[in-house]
Amino acid sequence: MDTEARLRAALVAAGAPARDPGFALAVIRAAEAGRYKKEAARSVLRAGGIAAAAAALAALGLDWAAGNPAAFQNGVLSAAGLISLVGLARLMSARARVLMKR
Amino acid sequence: MTPHDEARLIAAARKGDSRAYAALVDAHQQAVRGFLRRFTGVWADADDIAQEAFVTAWAKLNRFEGRSSFRSWVSGIGFRLARDARRAHGRAGARDAAWLQTQEVAENEAPIEDRIALERAMAELPDEQRAAVALCLGEGFSHAEAAAILKLPLGTVKSHVTRGREKLLRGLETSDGH
Repeated sequence: MDTEARLRAALVAAGAPARDPGFALAVIRAAEAGRYKKEAARSVLRAGGIAAAAAALAALGLDWAAGNPAAFQNGVLSAAGLISLVGLARLMSARARVLMKR
Repeated sequence: MTPHDEARLIAAARKGDSRAYAALVDAHQQAVRGFLRRFTGVWADADDIAQEAFVTAWAKLNRFEGRSSFRSWVSGIGFRLARDARRAHGRAGARDAAWLQTQEVAENEAPIEDRIALERAMAELPDEQRAAVALCLGEGFSHAEAAAILKLPLGTVKSHVTRGREKLLRGLETSDGH
C-alpha cells in the first residue's frame, strides 16, 4: 500500500464515528434543560421585579395614608363598597343563570 | 435527506418541533462528530462539543439564512467552540488519549502505527490547517464548504489542505523509519 492510500485509510480510522442513536436524544434533552434554566431565571427576575414594585407602591401608599388619614379612610370605605357591589352583582347573576336553566 | 426535506425540518424546528430537530441532528451527527474528532484529536471532548454545537444551533436557528447547508453551519459552530476550548485548555492530554482511541477502532483496516503517526502529525498542524484537512480530506466537504465553515478565503483553504496533506504524508513516511 502506498503512502497516499495509507493516509486515506488512517484518516478514515481517525474519526469516523458510528451513528449514535442516543446522540439526538442527548441534544434535545440538553437543549430543553438549557431552556428550562433560562425560563426559571427569567421568572425569578420577573417575580423579583414585581415584588420590588409592589413594595415601593406600598411604601408610597403608607406614607401618603399617614399624611392624609381622612382621605385614606374614605378611599378604604369606597373600595370596600365597590367590592361589595361587584360581589353582589356576581352572586345575583349566578342565581339568575341557575333559575334560567330550570 | 433531500434539500427540500431539510428545509421542511428546519422550518418545523424553528417553531419548536423537537422531533424535527432530532431528525436533523440524526442526519448530520456523523459528519459533525467526525470532523470534530479529527480536529480536536480527543473523541470524548469532540462528541461533547458536537452536542453543544447542535444545542447552540437550535437556539440560533432563526439566524440561519440557508446560504450554506445546515451541516456546514453546525460544523462552523462546532469549529469555533472547539477552537475556543483548545485555547482555554491547551493541548495537554490530547496525545495521551491518542493511544486509547486507536485501540477503539479494532475493525478498521489502517494499521495502528499509521493511525498513531497520523494523530501525531495532525496534532502538529496549525488549527486552521488541521480543520481544513479534517473537513476536506476526512469528511469530504468541498473546499468552498470548508471556506464557509472556517470563514477563510477559498484560496487559503486550498493551500491549507495541500500543505496539510503533504505534512501528513511526511509524518507517515517518517514513522516508517522508526
